[in-house]
Amino acid sequence: MEDVALECRDLDKAFGGVPVLKGVSLALEAGSVTALAGENGAGKSTLMKIASGQVKPDGGRVLIGGEPLPHGDPQAAHRNGVAIIPQELAPIMDMTVYENLFIGRELRTRTGLLDRRGMARRARELLDVFGVEIDPQATMRRLPVGLRQLVEIVKSTSGGARILLLDEPSSAISEREVERLYAVIGRLREQGVAMLYTTHKMEEIRALADRVVVLRDGGLVLDRPIGDITDDEIVHAMIGRELQGFFPDLHAPGDEIALQVSGLHVSGYPRPVDLTVRRGEILGLAGLVGAGRTELLEAIFGVRRSTAGTVTVAGRPVRRNAPAAAITGGMALVPEDRKGAGAVLTMNVLDNGSLPRLSRFTVAGWLRQRSRGRQVGAAMESVKLRSRGLSQQVGTLSGGNQQKVVLARWLTGSVNVLLLDEPTRGVDVGARSEIYRIITELAASGMAVVMASSDMPEILSLAHRALVMRGGAVAGELAREDLSSPHVQDLIFRYAAGLNPDSAPAPRHTEKEGR
Amino acid sequence: MTTQESAQEPTNPGGAAARLLPWRLSGPWIRDQLIRHSMVVVMLLIIAYFSYRSARFGTLDNLQTIAIAAAPFALIALGQTLVILTGGIDLSVGSVIALSAMTAAYTVKDHPERLWLSLVVAMLVGLAAGAVNGFLVSKVNVPPFIATLGMLTTASGLAYVVGQGAPINGLPQNFGEIANNQIFGLQIPVVVMIVGIVALALIMKRTSYGMRVYAVGGNPVAAQIAGVKTTRILFSVYALSGLLAGLSGVMLASRVISGPPNLGEGYELDAIAAVVIGGASLLGGRGSILGTALGLFLIQTLNNGLDILVVPAYWQSVIKGALIVAAVTVDVWSAKRRG
Repeated sequence: MEDVALECRDLDKAFGGVPVLKGVSLALEAGSVTALAGENGAGKSTLMKIASGQVKPDGGRVLIGGEPLPHGDPQAAHRNGVAIIPQELAPIMDMTVYENLFIGRELRTRTGLLDRRGMARRARELLDVFGVEIDPQATMRRLPVGLRQLVEIVKSTSGGARILLLDEPSSAISEREVERLYAVIGRLREQGVAMLYTTHKMEEIRALADRVVVLRDGGLVLDRPIGDITDDEIVHAMIGRELQGFFPDLHAPGDEIALQVSGLHVSGYPRPVDLTVRRGEILGLAGLVGAGRTELLEAIFGVRRSTAGTVTVAGRPVRRNAPAAAITGGMALVPEDRKGAGAVLTMNVLDNGSLPRLSRFTVAGWLRQRSRGRQVGAAMESVKLRSRGLSQQVGTLSGGNQQKVVLARWLTGSVNVLLLDEPTRGVDVGARSEIYRIITELAASGMAVVMASSDMPEILSLAHRALVMRGGAVAGELAREDLSSPHVQDLIFRYAAGLNPDSAPAPRHTEKEGR
Repeated sequence: MTTQESAQEPTNPGGAAARLLPWRLSGPWIRDQLIRHSMVVVMLLIIAYFSYRSARFGTLDNLQTIAIAAAPFALIALGQTLVILTGGIDLSVGSVIALSAMTAAYTVKDHPERLWLSLVVAMLVGLAAGAVNGFLVSKVNVPPFIATLGMLTTASGLAYVVGQGAPINGLPQNFGEIANNQIFGLQIPVVVMIVGIVALALIMKRTSYGMRVYAVGGNPVAAQIAGVKTTRILFSVYALSGLLAGLSGVMLASRVISGPPNLGEGYELDAIAAVVIGGASLLGGRGSILGTALGLFLIQTLNNGLDILVVPAYWQSVIKGALIVAAVTVDVWSAKRRG
């Protein structure tokens, strides 16, 4: 290896006792792109945060040009030429492009005033190097997300960055913008910048990378030049995980249809969605980030606008765009963003637990304290909530226990359809298997469950049937038999990424694309 | 930290109360209680100081004086508490007091028989102003600060319009009955204040409406997913705030038996101060009616005590301002200590 720009040696990191990185070593060469692939939760973001000094590793070290970098010091990393482009960009929206480029290192005139004309001219030059047509005088807010990202990249590299860490840069931008991003990355490679590029899209790895590194469950499982490896090998490295013993056994679903969604036009997506779920059935929704799974669940429940279609629960139509009607109809939603949308963290367990079914606990608007204490207590008991009692503030519970509150608060009444969005995101392993047990028990009791998940084993082991989504529509459907076939992960991946599923070595699948 | 802590303790709703009881009057326990109830401690210190400095301060008579002075503030502070709990703010209550007082005075002038009508009119005017605020905030999504700032200016202007630029004087003597008659030996505004505090404290603690207000302020998205009609809740708190300001306005006008168009000027700031001293968060979701009542009495006691000690008005402002900031600083600090 010649000219190593950044090297990680034996990095270890654990959060709250849960290891997220286990002895990871890798080297970035100047003038090359290393793709960092892996599932959600594999440790990609943590690795990047350690390399950029935002997070302190528990063990191991980061070397830049052979010199060790002080741990957990983003300023030092910055001085040594390391820049990170996070997934969530934070430009100053109401300032112009050139102001954003020069903030913190403004050009001044001889009299000490801001040299605005000079900065605008220099900004134009910087942007021209990358062949990007952006007016330096435009405000950031007026630019599309992809261009804002390019401005951020130009900002870091023009500030002297020699090592660029890009955290899923293509997740939020359009295809046209992706091409421009590729061009900019190509130019940076020519300039000798070392880049680490997080993605789980195969076509990006192929188009950009010189080298592929795959993380799985915090360990580095693959590190090879792109020419020496096939797509299948990469996919296999990403998702091949031991699954035995972690998931409870599934019960056979009933015959009665619990949820029927027909022609539901989710606002912002071009194609309508149809699906049916039977009582006792767990339907998995797979797909990449941004495939429209969350949006579909929210639209079924009525918190996101839908413009046409029908939602029927247990044979009775439910009014669209009305969460209160959905609840009365027997639907329950456990959202992905627990802190932002699930629980009211400032309220206690009892109040959170009674919020969705307040009318059951009130007489003429007055709360029946004893009955709601009893019923909420029983619901929380049924999920084995660990708390200091019903008066504990939800914000002080652990992630797994917060999720149990968000789930159990629906169980004080009868639920026909349970909509789960990433039910185990940010939940530690122990609470995870408990949540799986709860989900299968609820299904066994006759609920229809729709579960969106980016965790492949969750879909494979917990669902009776799975839909793969792409661009807000159903791209493929897999029955239980398909889910246990050896090639299923590859097949799901191909549906989700929009690759031709026929080239996969899968024996059977149901083609649903393009309807 | 919480994971381990909660992992050791099983679900046991009944045991929570037992665990809260002090089992030993140890130093750390006392310190913890002092920190937890810092506002009560501050209040007691102020009362002790004034009682030491003046014999008149501690009398029952003076207590009633404080209560009478507090009553008009109490009503708007109660409404303000609900608004702040949802994460909003109502700057317009002072002007709404003026507008409702002027319309009440206008109604009753030369018509002593319209006494009750004037009361109803004042409350309706307040309700209408609050409803406009609520509509703008909940339906049009105008930021509460802006919507109610607009209402502050508009209502103040309208108050002068009603009086054609001058106070409305020469009102029938019976108009004074609203504020000055007594029930159970207490003046009507004091009774209204006590009833208001008790009623709203119960509503906020014991009804689904109260819980929804807390939920909307604590996390509007989560509240919506739980089926709470958030726009309706938002609308209602501003409407209620306006209604209470209207009631406060007619009582103030009745006390002086006239309609001055600058009545209630700046009252909104005292009301907001009372809510904040009472431990509410301007971000919403945190606060209580009893806290607001405590904050209100802290301000009023201070006003009264400083008056008795004949401290000049401008120094009173300085002391009051410093104390408000100090009280909230202690509260923020102790909240951090509690974790």
